[in-house]
This record gives sequence, structure tokens and C-alpha cells, in this order.
Amino acid sequence: MSDPLSKTATAAEIARAVSHDKVKAAAVIEAALGRIAAAEPTINAFTDVVADRARRRAVEVDAGKHHRGPLAGVPFAVKNLFDIEGLLTRAGSKINVDGSKAGRDAALVRRLEAAGAILVGGLNMGEYAYDFTGENAHYGPSRNPRDTTRMTGGSSGGSGAAVAAGEVPLALGSDTNGSIRVPSSLCGLFGLKPTYGRLSRAGSFPFVDAFDHLGPIARSTEDLALSFDAMQGADPDDPVCTHLPPEPTLPHLGEGIGGLRIAIAGDYFARGGEPEAFEAVATVAKALDSTKTIVLPQAAAARAAAYVITAIEGGQLHLPRLRARPQDFDPDTRERFMAGALLPGAWYVKAQRFRRQYRANVLKLFDEVDVILAPATPCTAPRLGQVMMKLGGVDLPVRANLGLFTQPISFVGLPVVVAPLQRPGGLPIGVQIIAKPYNERAALRVAAFLEAQGVASAPPA
Amino acid sequence: MADDKPDVARLVDEAAKAIGLPIAPEYRANVILNFERSLMIARPLLEVDLDDELTPGPVFRP
Repeated sequence: MSDPLSKTATAAEIARAVSHDKVKAAAVIEAALGRIAAAEPTINAFTDVVADRARRRAVEVDAGKHHRGPLAGVPFAVKNLFDIEGLLTRAGSKINVDGSKAGRDAALVRRLEAAGAILVGGLNMGEYAYDFTGENAHYGPSRNPRDTTRMTGGSSGGSGAAVAAGEVPLALGSDTNGSIRVPSSLCGLFGLKPTYGRLSRAGSFPFVDAFDHLGPIARSTEDLALSFDAMQGADPDDPVCTHLPPEPTLPHLGEGIGGLRIAIAGDYFARGGEPEAFEAVATVAKALDSTKTIVLPQAAAARAAAYVITAIEGGQLHLPRLRARPQDFDPDTRERFMAGALLPGAWYVKAQRFRRQYRANVLKLFDEVDVILAPATPCTAPRLGQVMMKLGGVDLPVRANLGLFTQPISFVGLPVVVAPLQRPGGLPIGVQIIAKPYNERAALRVAAFLEAQGVASAPPA
Repeated sequence: MADDKPDVARLVDEAAKAIGLPIAPEYRANVILNFERSLMIARPLLEVDLDDELTPGPVFRP
């Protein structure tokens, strides 16, 4: 067990210590603020630190003013597309800074704080979430704590960097095409992209409504489950949010993998990446004693359709800003948004029609299996500023291709846990543990088993 | 067949005019490049045949 004031303490360890009066929430927050101050000149994960708010909240938690919930005293931070009361919701942009300040916290911030957690700040991200790198021309890149010359992955780059650097044990990100899963993989962390519509998106800046999800990045499966459980529940402020009651996952984490049918995604998911991506899947499959391979039919078309829907919805969303303030966009997103705004409408409709067919075919697979394994990223962290990379012997743009293996999954809203492999002597890489809609529990059980076996783990101190 | 290739530069210029999106000369080459990349990435979708009955309509349940 880690010292609750240390950078390797998990949210669960901190909450237990605070709940049992072993440590004051105020001390936990001071320690986190100290780590943030020390790390930020190098890591650049934060764009806003709400130190006064966090200190006030910690005093209130210690005074018993708030119910000491399951996340009592746990410092956390959120990608800066989440509303934070009194702050501008940057969404990684310069343009939004000319908007108005948020009048209230995003729904998930409120839910985590209702469970006792304490918000310490807003995190760097790729502009308007159209990004897999974690780079940002306005605020600088978030840097991968494992090797600061390398990308964190994005667009939730600050969320990955802040947790991997030990600044906070828990961060929230958003995932439209892979933006939680890519930084989780490149920074070597556990990440959860829940089922589409299972967590409220109210009070977050949108990107692609058809695919936008929110979720946690953490140092352990237990912390994913703890925070996910605290955030579940209906929310009339998000029109796609579930009406079903919460189903806690935490009590099931220790159930092991007995009874779960686990298969490896073949075909599309077994090519087009570097060897380390497939070695990671093989390592995980071996630990799970899984030998069955399953094919997600038409996954390449699914990736293409996800790309088309993203480009067109993103281009349409930002069209007024592209007309009025093109010079204020990040050069790495501007011309992609512009091109997206010009793509044929027929492509969009075809992509949505295809989505229905693909979804039906993928859901059928879950008659045969409960969990599917696939690489999270096709490679480990590229260098900052790197434009092209070699994948499977082919030169491809980094930005468009880091999400090759994540896009066909979020395209139909399936829940995914990323389990990180630390690869001694090398850079970390993650494996996607994919389940059917509303079966986050199965993916979390598998990740917890891999963690207990020592196969998956967060970065060492 | 080279003649079948779309003139992407012209397509971008005319589509931008049609939707009222001014593209400054310094951005134009990259918009064209990204449009060309989109054509390439979209190909696996464009090659799929779909039944006429396959519709993307939203489903309303009580």
C-alpha cells in the first residue's frame, strides 16, 4: 500500500486513509498541489489549477461538512472541455477563451465531488478534441512523463500526463474516437471508455455527438470502478444519457475471469501495427488463457465511417468559427476541420446507414463471447512533433492513424477498458478489453485479473 | 485511370464557395491535402454496398 501523500497512491488508498482519519484531506490536497507545481514546468498537463477552491473543499471534507463518500479527499482533474464553475471552458482552444465563464460544474465533476473527491484543475488537450497526439499550438504539448520528448497521445493528453506523472491519481477525459484509450496506452495507464450514453455529458464541450463519451483515467482498475460507479446515473440534461439505474461494478472486481468467454480480435486488428502492439495482445491473451480468434466484420469500413462522421460533424460544428476566426485555430486542426466541412453529405448518410449494419453484426458476436481483446494503439508513443510514422512497413500520418484500432469500437459505443503493459526497457502500450453495451463490469473484471497477475500495471514511481 | 481522379483543388475551391467558407491562400494547400487524405481513408466505406432497406433512422421506444 502506498503512502496516501505519495505520487503512487491510488484514489482508493487515499479515500480509505481519509475516511479512517489516517490523513487529512487538506494534507492530501497540499501534497497534490505541491506535486503539480513541481511537475508542471516539464509535463504541462494543467491549463488551470483551482488551488483555492480545492483547499476550501478539503477543509470542508475534514470538518465533516460533506458526506465522506467512496472518494473522500481524492484529488482529481478534468480535461478542459469539462465546465468548471467560474472558469472558461477552453476545449483546448484560444477562441473559447473569449466566451463566458461556466456557471456551474459539469455533471460528472458534481458527481465525483458528491462522492467526496476534490477538483484541483483543468487539463490540457488537443484543440476541440480533434487530436490523437496531445499537442496544442496555444498551450504547448502535454509531455509523456515516461519520456518527455514523446507524445502523451490525445486528445485527453493532459489527463494521461497528470496521472502518469503522479500529479493526481484520477483524471477525466473524453473519447470520441479513442481520446481516452490512446493516452492511456501511450502513458501506460488504466482507462475506461464506458458504453455510449452511460455517463452524462452535460456541461462538456461537444465534438461529435454521435460518438462523444466521457470517462476516467487512473492508476488501477479499482479506481476506474470507484469513479465510474460514482458517476453513473440518469441525467435529463444530456439527451442521450441512460434512463437505467446505476449498476455498481466495484463489488464484482474480484470475481476473476471464471465464466467469461474471451477472444482475440483478428483480421483488421491483427495487422497494420508495430510488433509491440500485437505482442501486448498476445501477452494478455496468454495470461487469460484465451486462444479463440474472432473477426469484427468490415472493421476497415467502420474505421472509415467513423472518420467520415467525425470530419463532417466536426467541420459542421465549427463552421461559424472557421468563417469568422480561422487565424485563431491551431494550425494542426484548422485545415482538417475546413476539409471536413466540405466533404459530401452522401458520405455522411452512408456512414450512418453502414453504422446500423455494423452495429448489428458486432452485437451478434457477443452471443459467442463476452470480451474481445485488441491493441489500443498501433505503436508506443511517437516523438513530439513527429508527423509521419511507419506502421506495418507503410509510411502514414501520425495524427490520423494513432486511433486505427480504437475507432471501429467507439463507432458503435461499446465499453472498453485499456489495460497497460509497462514493457521493461521500452515504452508502455495498452490493450483494449472490449465488452457488449452495459457490460463494463466484464471488462473491468478482466483488467482487475490482469492487474492481480502482474501483467497490467501503472507506471512505477 | 488518371482521368477518373477528381480535381480536388477545384472541388475544394467550389465547395468552399458554395457553403460560404473563405479559405485564405496560406491554408488552401493543406485543406486540399486533407481532402485528398479523406478520399483515401473513406475508400473502404465507399466500396461497401448497402441494402436499400438499411436506414439510419432514430428509434423511439416508450
